[in-house]
Amino acid sequence: MIEYNICVRCVMDTSDKVIIFDADGVCDHCRVFDRDIFPVWNNGSGHEQSLKKLVSKIKKAGQGKDFDCILGMSGGIDSSYLLYLVKEELGLRPLVFHVDAGWNSQIAVNNIERLVDGLGVDLYTEVINWEDMKNLQRAYFKSGVPHIDTPQDHSFFATMYKFAADNNVKDIVTGGNYSTECIRNPKEWMYYQSDSIQLRDILKKHGEKPLKSYPITNILWHKIFLPYIKGVNLHRLLDLMPYDKEHATQFLVDNYGYERYPQKHFESRFTRFYESYWLPVKFGYDTRRVQYSSLILTGQMTRDDAIHKLSQPGYDPETIHHDFEYVASKLDWTVEELMACFNSPNKTYNDYANQESFYNTGAKVLRMFGKELGGKR
Amino acid sequence: MLRPRITPCLLIRNGGLVKTQQFSNDKYVGDPINAVKIFNEKAVDELIIIDIDATRLGSDPNYALIQRLANEARMPICYGGGIKTSAQAEKIIKMGVEKVALSSALFVNPELISELAKALGSQSVVGVLDVKKSLFKGYSIFIENGVKKIPGKLSEWVTTFQDFGIGEILINSIDRDGMQAGYDLELVKGITGCLNVPSTFLGGAGSLSDIKKLIAQRGLGGCAAGSLFVFKGKYRAVLINYPKFAEKIDLIELGLAEYNSNVRK
Amino acid sequence: MIGILDYGVGNIEAFLKIYHSLNMAAIPVRSPSDFDSIDKIILPGVGSFDSAMEKLNNSGLRDTLDEFVINRDLPLLGVCIGMHMLGRSSEEGSMGGLSYISGHTEKMSFIDSNITPLLPHMGWNNIITPRQDPIWKDVNLEQGFYFLHSYCFRVEDSEAIIGLSDYGSRFPCAVKSGGVFGFQFHPEKSLTNGIQLLRNFAEFS
Repeated sequence: MIEYNICVRCVMDTSDKVIIFDADGVCDHCRVFDRDIFPVWNNGSGHEQSLKKLVSKIKKAGQGKDFDCILGMSGGIDSSYLLYLVKEELGLRPLVFHVDAGWNSQIAVNNIERLVDGLGVDLYTEVINWEDMKNLQRAYFKSGVPHIDTPQDHSFFATMYKFAADNNVKDIVTGGNYSTECIRNPKEWMYYQSDSIQLRDILKKHGEKPLKSYPITNILWHKIFLPYIKGVNLHRLLDLMPYDKEHATQFLVDNYGYERYPQKHFESRFTRFYESYWLPVKFGYDTRRVQYSSLILTGQMTRDDAIHKLSQPGYDPETIHHDFEYVASKLDWTVEELMACFNSPNKTYNDYANQESFYNTGAKVLRMFGKELGGKR
Repeated sequence: MLRPRITPCLLIRNGGLVKTQQFSNDKYVGDPINAVKIFNEKAVDELIIIDIDATRLGSDPNYALIQRLANEARMPICYGGGIKTSAQAEKIIKMGVEKVALSSALFVNPELISELAKALGSQSVVGVLDVKKSLFKGYSIFIENGVKKIPGKLSEWVTTFQDFGIGEILINSIDRDGMQAGYDLELVKGITGCLNVPSTFLGGAGSLSDIKKLIAQRGLGGCAAGSLFVFKGKYRAVLINYPKFAEKIDLIELGLAEYNSNVRK
Repeated sequence: MIGILDYGVGNIEAFLKIYHSLNMAAIPVRSPSDFDSIDKIILPGVGSFDSAMEKLNNSGLRDTLDEFVINRDLPLLGVCIGMHMLGRSSEEGSMGGLSYISGHTEKMSFIDSNITPLLPHMGWNNIITPRQDPIWKDVNLEQGFYFLHSYCFRVEDSEAIIGLSDYGSRFPCAVKSGGVFGFQFHPEKSLTNGIQLLRNFAEFS
C-alpha cells in the first residue's frame, strides 16, 4: 500500500501510481517540465521568427487551394481561440474540421457555429456512425479499463488525419498546448488512444458486433507514414506564442458570443460524465489534478486554489444521477446495466493486447531526433 | 397572438438521422437522441420526425426509438412513417407524441382520417402530401418515399382530407428537398386558397430569409426545414443550429408585417 | 409528492420526467390507493372530451379523485382536455364533466376578426395575465406556451381567469379556483416555461 503523498509544487499525487518525488518533495511531472519542456517552450516567448516562417510555409503550400490548413475543432476554448488567431492574426485560410461522435453538447455546437459564422470560415464535419460508437463504448465500459473515452478520441485522430491525407493537405493545426497541458494524464489513467491493437482486442472480447464504418487508425500511420511519406504535419501553434487561457476565453466571450463551459472537456456530454464522475469515483483518477497542475506550472492558477477546488467533487451530487441515466439510456442500457459496469473490477490496459512497447521504443527514437518533447507518460 | 411555427424536420433511416436531396442521396447525420436533446436546448417550436423507410418496407414504426425520442423532447413532436392503422397511431400518441403524420395510408383509405380524429382528436392528425411539379401544369402527389404517383389533383386531395376531419396539412416539395434554394412559393400560393386547417410547408429552406419569405407569403402556419437546421456551409457540414428566440421573433415580425400589408392591398 | 393521473389518456411520462429532472417526487396514479401518498394531482388530457371522460369514469379512479379535490380540498392541475373536464360539459361531446369549476367548454369563436383564424389553434402563443399569480413566477409570458386545441373553457366566474391568450379573440387559457387550476396549453411540452410552471405548481400551497 503506497503511502499518500502529494507534490509540493503542483497537485499531482500518488493516485498516479508511478509518480516519483525528489528530495524536495517535487514530483517527476514537474521535473520533466523544468528539464524538457520549459527550456524549449519558454512560456511561448521568443518564437516570433519560427512562427512567421511556419505561417509563410503553410501559406505557400496552400496557394491555389480552397484552404491552406485544417484546424481540428471541438468547440473547446483552445481550438476556438486558435481558430481566431489563425484566421485573424496569422492570415491563414483554415478549414475547420469537427468530428461529431454523437455526444456534442448544445454549448459546443453553438460555440462552433458562432466562431465559424463570426470568422467567416468553412466547416467540415465527420459524423461517426452512432451504432458503431455505441458498440465500441459499450465494449469499453464492459472491459473495465479506465480509458473509456478512447472510442471518441481515436475517431478524432483517425478521421482528421485521413481527411488531410485524402485531400492532399499538408498542414494540420491543433489547439494542443503546453500552457494548459504540459502535464499529461498518466498512462495508467489514459492509455494511448491511438493503439489500434488494444481497441481491436477490447472490441473482440466485449463488442457485440463488427464495426460498420468506424475509422481505425494506428500509430505507425500517424507518426511515420503521414509525416514522412505523405508530408502531413501537425502544428501546435499555441506553443509558439504566450497563451493565457482565461484571457483567451474572455476575449472570445466578448467578441464572438462564446459561451463558457463549466469545466474543461464539457463540449462532450460523455467526456464530462467520464472525467467528472466515472474516472474519479471508480478509479480514483481525477483529471482535474492534471489540468490544475499544468496551470500551476504555467502561472495561471495557484496551488491553494487547486487544492480547494479538488476538495469538492467535480460533479454535482444533486444531478449526477441524471447524467448516469442519460449515458445509460443513450447506450441503450438500463441504469442497472451501466451500474454493473461501474461495480465490475477495475482493469488496466495491460489486461488487453497492446502495442505499448512499440510506443516506448518509438518515443525514444523520436526524442533522440528531438522530434518530440511530450510530458512524462 | 399565435406565432408562425418554425419547425426542424428530421428524417430517420435505420435508426439514424439522414438528410436527402430530392428524396435521394442520403447523407448520415447522426444519432437522433442527441439531436433532439440539442434541439430542446435550442428551444425549437416543435419537431417533425419522419421514418422514411417504414411505409415503403411495410414495417411497423420503430416504437422503441419513438418512445425514447418522446421521452427526450420538451416540445411537441409530430411523428410519421409506417402508420396505417388507428391502433398504431394510438400507441404512438400514448408514448407522448403530440401528432401523427400519415401519407400513403390516407390515399388508399381517406376514411381512416375520421377514425383517427375520433380516437385522438383531429388536432393530432396530420396529412402529408409529397409533391413534385408535373410536366405541364400543377403538381403530382407521390407516396412511398417519392416513388409511386397518386392520380388526382393536389387541391382535390387537400379538400378530401379536410372533409374527413384532418387537423393539419403538411405539403412537402420533393423538387426542393435538400436543395436549400428557397421554398416553392408558387406551390404555397396555389394551395392556400383550399386550406381551412393549419398547414406546414417543407422543402427548400436555405436560409432564415427563406422562412421570412414563406411567412410573408402566407402568414400563420408551420415553416419546416431539414437541411437548414442540420447543415452549415458549402461542405454541408453537420452542425445543428436554430435561431435564438429574439432573432426568431424579429424574423416573424418582419414576415407578418409584410404579409399583413400584402393582404390589405 | 405529485400524482399524475394515469387513466389511459395523456402524456404521463412527460410530466414524470420533468419532475424527475427537477428532483421533485412524482408518481403515476393508477389505483385509488395511490392517492394516499400524494398531496397534489395533475389531470392530463388529449383527444376528445367524451373519450377522456369515459376513460376517467371507467378507470376506477373517479370517486377517489372527487374525494381528493372536493372533500379533501387538495390541489389539482388540469391540462388541455383536462381543463375542459373541470367544467360541467363540452360542446365537443355529450358527457358530463367533473364540475370542479363552474363553466362549459365550447368551440373557439372569433367575434371581431374579418379573417377567421383556422382551427385547431396550433403553436406557440403568448399569455396575458389579468392579475398577478404566483403560478406565473419566472415564466416568460411573451414566449408563452404551446397550444393544440379547437375548443376552450368558458369559465362562469371571471375572477377565476388568471391567464388569457389571443387567437382571433381573447379566451381564457388559465383558470384557478381555490386549489384547482386549469391550463389550456401543454406545459409538459412547452420547454423551460412549462417546466417552470410545473415547478410552481409543485410549490403551490
